[in-house]
Amino acid sequence: MSIVEISRAPSIGRPIAINWLRELSARQSALTGAGVLLVVAMLPMGFAFLLDTRLFNGIDVWIKPLKFALAVAIYMFTLAFFASWVDEKVRTARWFCALAWATASAGTLEVFYIALQASRDEASHFNYTDNLHMALYGLMGIGATLMISFSAILGILIARNGKLDVAPVIKDSVVLGLTLAFVLTLIPAGTMSAMGSHWIGGVHSDAGGMALTGWSRDGGDLRVAHLFGTHAMHFIPAFGVVSALVLGPEKRWPVWLFTVVFCGFVAFLFFQALAGQPFLPRLH
Amino acid sequence: MDPDTIFRTANLLALAGWLVLLASPLWPWLAERLSGLAIPLLLSVAYCGLIFAFWTSGKGGFGSLGDVARLFQTRQLLLAGWIHYLAFDLFVGAWIVRTSRLEEIRFWAVVPCLVATFLFGPAGFLLFNAIRSTKSIAAQPGMSTKVMS
Repeated sequence: MSIVEISRAPSIGRPIAINWLRELSARQSALTGAGVLLVVAMLPMGFAFLLDTRLFNGIDVWIKPLKFALAVAIYMFTLAFFASWVDEKVRTARWFCALAWATASAGTLEVFYIALQASRDEASHFNYTDNLHMALYGLMGIGATLMISFSAILGILIARNGKLDVAPVIKDSVVLGLTLAFVLTLIPAGTMSAMGSHWIGGVHSDAGGMALTGWSRDGGDLRVAHLFGTHAMHFIPAFGVVSALVLGPEKRWPVWLFTVVFCGFVAFLFFQALAGQPFLPRLH
Repeated sequence: MDPDTIFRTANLLALAGWLVLLASPLWPWLAERLSGLAIPLLLSVAYCGLIFAFWTSGKGGFGSLGDVARLFQTRQLLLAGWIHYLAFDLFVGAWIVRTSRLEEIRFWAVVPCLVATFLFGPAGFLLFNAIRSTKSIAAQPGMSTKVMS
């Protein structure tokens, strides 16, 4: 029984990155393709970042599309990786491929629109300036919901795959991670959408935010819970691998315990933001 | 990064690509990878970055010659246009080298085509195809009459 399937990825003769991409593409080509497209798009956007002097919310206009391209690419690669854990018959079914294509397209279009709006120095999310931009923002919401739904679908399909040859604790961790990523993303993302901003209190600007993430340091920021919630699909399976190696592959309870703690942590971050408290306050 | 620095860097890159093409009989593999792919791709990234960052600051458009002239009054867009030349001319140069090798056209006949493409883009493309057509006509006796008729 293989604890992690990745050990099968061939790595002789060619750069490892190419072999990995080939392996991912064999697992789910549409999702991998979208991921590659987004990573490639980061090159000219990165160059635009060096050239552009315009600011949005206090930071360079290109930071947001770069962050979204990277995040959605990682999401696509993760889905592609786990797609092969679904039963062969289901995975090759037309409806599954159509859903994967829809997810890949939604993610790519999302980043495309964010980049387009950045190039125009305008908001993409929370843009209520006119009917067109409100409609487009609405479409982004539909696209994002579609995109994150695929994670839950994948989780359920993996749970139902009785032929999957991985350790029980690993299977549980992946099912829990993928399914909870959907729930833990939808709640903070839906809340910030309903509130019309991810900032609660504090200065509504990215200028004084944390390094890399840009999270507010003087008020609540719902993006914190969004990030950790979505990364349930990485944190929980990663814990599953560690648990399998340290505590043995048959013991399932550690991963369930970790999942409860992790959900509690995301809930804490969510309510911390709602209370207007920063994740890491600025030191005085 | 100011436009003049990008201009100089892009020119140097393109020039390196052309030199590799001129010496391509020595290293056809390198010419293919470097001048035919890597450098045009790098220039394309620079082009896209410039367009992403500055397409909204341009006035004018593509509807009339006056509009195009107004578009190029924005220095960054003028630079993007120049990089467009550099990338595509070099790509055509690499195509000429590749095609000449496949069709066994001697390299001394290719050199003027490369020089012409480097300096005057479409002129070199035209010249190469002219040379190509004379060779294919000469290679097939009897075909010339068919072409004529």
